[in-house]
Amino acid sequence: MRRIAPLLLILAASPAAAQSVVTSAAPDKVAVSVFRDPNRDEGGEIDRDWLNGFALISETRSIDLPAGEVRLRFEGVAEGMVAVSAIVTGLPGGVVQKNRDAALLSPASLLDGSLGNRVHLRRTDRATGKVSEEEAIIRSGPEGAVILQTPAGYESLRCTGLPESLIYDGVPAGLTAKPTLSVTTRSPTAQRATVTLTYLSTGFDWASNYVARVGPDGKTLDLFAWLTVANSNGESFADANMSVLAGTLNIEQDFDELVALPPQPQLNLTCFPLGSGRDGVPPPPPPPPPAPGGYAEESDGDNIVVTAQRRAMLQSVPVAISVVSTAELEDLGDLKLYRVPFPVTVAAHGQKQVALLIKDRVPFETVYRYRTDPEDETFATPSEILLRMQNKEAARLGVPLPSGQVAVFEQAQGRELLAGEGMMRDHAVGEKVDLVIGESNQVLVTVENYAPPKRREEDHRVVVTNANPFAVTLEIGFEVDDTGKLAPRLRKLPRKDGLPTWTVRVPGNATRTLEYLNPKED
Amino acid sequence: MRALAMLCVPVILAAGWASFPAAAQDPTQGNAQGDLAVTIYNGGQALVQDIRQINFPGGRTRQEFPDVSAQIRPQTVSFAAEGTAIVEQNFDYDLLSPNALMQKAVGETVTLLRINPATGAETRERAKVLAVNGGVVLQIGPRIEILRDDGLPVRVIFDKIPPNLRAKPTLSITVDSKNAGTRPATLSYLTNGLGWSADYVSLYDEKAGTIDVQGWVTLSNSTGTTFDNAKTLLVAGTPSSGGANSYVYRPRPQPPGNLRRAGTETAPREQLGDYYLYPLAERTTIANAQTKQVSFLDVGGVPAQKIYEFTVALFDTMTEPASAASVIKFNTGAKGGGLGDALPAGTVRFYQRDLRGDPQFIGENQIGHTPMGSELGLKTGDAFDVKVKATVVERKQTGSTWRSSMSYLLTNARPQPVTLDLRQRGLDWYWAETKVITESQKSERLDSDGVQWRVTVPANGETTLTATFETRY
Repeated sequence: MRRIAPLLLILAASPAAAQSVVTSAAPDKVAVSVFRDPNRDEGGEIDRDWLNGFALISETRSIDLPAGEVRLRFEGVAEGMVAVSAIVTGLPGGVVQKNRDAALLSPASLLDGSLGNRVHLRRTDRATGKVSEEEAIIRSGPEGAVILQTPAGYESLRCTGLPESLIYDGVPAGLTAKPTLSVTTRSPTAQRATVTLTYLSTGFDWASNYVARVGPDGKTLDLFAWLTVANSNGESFADANMSVLAGTLNIEQDFDELVALPPQPQLNLTCFPLGSGRDGVPPPPPPPPPAPGGYAEESDGDNIVVTAQRRAMLQSVPVAISVVSTAELEDLGDLKLYRVPFPVTVAAHGQKQVALLIKDRVPFETVYRYRTDPEDETFATPSEILLRMQNKEAARLGVPLPSGQVAVFEQAQGRELLAGEGMMRDHAVGEKVDLVIGESNQVLVTVENYAPPKRREEDHRVVVTNANPFAVTLEIGFEVDDTGKLAPRLRKLPRKDGLPTWTVRVPGNATRTLEYLNPKED
Repeated sequence: MRALAMLCVPVILAAGWASFPAAAQDPTQGNAQGDLAVTIYNGGQALVQDIRQINFPGGRTRQEFPDVSAQIRPQTVSFAAEGTAIVEQNFDYDLLSPNALMQKAVGETVTLLRINPATGAETRERAKVLAVNGGVVLQIGPRIEILRDDGLPVRVIFDKIPPNLRAKPTLSITVDSKNAGTRPATLSYLTNGLGWSADYVSLYDEKAGTIDVQGWVTLSNSTGTTFDNAKTLLVAGTPSSGGANSYVYRPRPQPPGNLRRAGTETAPREQLGDYYLYPLAERTTIANAQTKQVSFLDVGGVPAQKIYEFTVALFDTMTEPASAASVIKFNTGAKGGGLGDALPAGTVRFYQRDLRGDPQFIGENQIGHTPMGSELGLKTGDAFDVKVKATVVERKQTGSTWRSSMSYLLTNARPQPVTLDLRQRGLDWYWAETKVITESQKSERLDSDGVQWRVTVPANGETTLTATFETRY
């Protein structure tokens, strides 16, 4: 009887005792909208070890509510839930308050919450296997663990060299296994309600990955893009309506910080010095595992589809990619929303890819580019190779192109080879797409301060050499600050991307030269 | 000897047990908190008032106060009870641990209970603790020994816990009471780890040009203590963080900030001096490690306008276009159909419905304490479809004059025309004066450092704006 008393007291002290508690275990329907890592560079990739994007999760749950005041607990939510962003709608009695409880049940909180309570100290005799149990009262907090009051007097736990363990009669009130979101509501009548819970969650990210395959004519390419979504949460979202959003959102708060747990009691089992001190004080216990969310387990790599598929693509015979359907695009304010047209399962610690867009026979031109200050000198420097497309319907494109990595493949020797890789920024419809996919050691630029006798030192000459057997187009842009000091010859050049640009067609295995005279420095 | 020791054990155990229940008076059983009133400020600081019913004996007594905040600032404690006078107040944080207990036992006698690992037989003897320095040196009769030097199991049993060693930091007050009897005692103190801010859910309707705003106060408790059934009041402000503002270095904010115009209206809410008060309607339990949200504002159909903004910082040529910021503007005044309330500092999250009617997140921003009648302009993100590209067409020096001709290309891939506020900054260089000589559209001078044009860009179209600036130095 005496043993039961503390437990009853604990129950009575529980704040939940006054109201009934309803637990909603899982959603019936879920929609997941994934946002890119707001700090990722244009064209960057997903960091699977640390997903820095986030998602808006909208769950529909059917809940039977009794009349009166109810605390409604939500289970089966994402670990990375940003609780302060949670919106609960559909409750007939409205929301009195929302709570996220994060006092977690752990050895330390169990000890902390049982301070002053009666527990049982179990000792096992190593020699005889005899188990003896005696009552004890915890007298120290978890930081200075553990002093027990036993019938014999005051003792320290685990300083004796005996197998010892504490056994508790119950769990102190208010401790939960996981951080838990609950709302308090007051229903006028008992009824079944369809409740929508919407929240932001960390531990997601998405990216677009483009595959451009140059056609046999060398003048068009087939553009295909994967939409890659990753989830590092421990929860899977089955048959979800999934969409992803492209564009840049303003984010002020550190979501990871909002998800992080408030400080929890730490159990620190220490002893007085034992023996001659030659073994020193036992080291403190290892720190508790990091807060869930945002952190992918180390086990990734084996369940990832991309790499395999990409590798397959590298070696495959060139057959046009065909997909059942691509993501549907809609405008959402100033963002672009891509909706996956069929329900998908976003697996825990998993990555998923669906087709984002597919555009065949997009005309492009290959342009070589070099940018320099008119007063700089350089010798045989490689030029950038870029693919230029017009993001217009007339040029067989004309769709928003969200930023992502691009891999370009070309036919050679009867197989498909990687011709270059680049980064795509966000391109709106109507923009020119200049995709830098590498640099050329065949088309080289030399800018020299050539000064034959009787000539001034500011004389410059640009020499471009083409070692390819085919003609190339080269654009040399001059970065100018003071146009007053610009060589008259450069001043007359047409502007491209804001820079006076010398556009020259260099025939195969040929050289072309531009000379200009920079005005004398004062 | 051993047989004797064995015999002794049950006797001693029984004797100990008899006194055991009396020792089990438990300070933390249940909750010692009384009638709680908690006032929470923004900066993670709260004032707790705890009225406890205390039975004071007559004369001088020491009262312990368990279940105060674990992050109490003891120097801020004040105590008052009728007919009592304070003698002294103590905050003891000498924590009980095996090591502390052993250190305090130096010179005292403890009981050693040796357990034979082969047979399980127990031997009991008394030992005097001589020193605890990297090992415990004991005196057992005439022998000097080191505790557990042989690694064999030994239970060390202490007779008592020194009075100043505690499980948790403990506040105690010694009072002199005129007469005995139970009466309310008011304990009040400041604590860290309990703060609040606001979270706003703002649903933007682009077609109607309105926002629906719900405001939630979010209070978070990381004190390590649960406050039971507390009357709770939130204060929008941090009275303590003040100090003399004149000493604070405040860099000139790069306009525009989120607060576009400070309001001059007074909200219909209770005030404490210059701070608005947000009382919670009901008593509430603020559990440890809890984040609690309670609604304080729900306004629908507030007129809101979306505008695009772009700032060109210097006279530089951009080789690639950059996205303009999308900004939602609204008024917090009651006049003219605004939101009609003062807004405590916090995070505003914007949502917009997609084609299926589901709300989607479109970005967030932060506001400071905002008086009623203010105009807010909150950037939600960068527009995918509205971009600006600036080009320095000409920039040259004649004598002590620089002349810069700029050309701005504004593009809009949206199917609706948009309004864009284009700003050119970098006009004020302390020693130089810059003015607009010619421009293709009339500009507005914002301040010494910038000018602004409000440009309409047609649907799926573009606009070019040109301007020439002259700088004299």
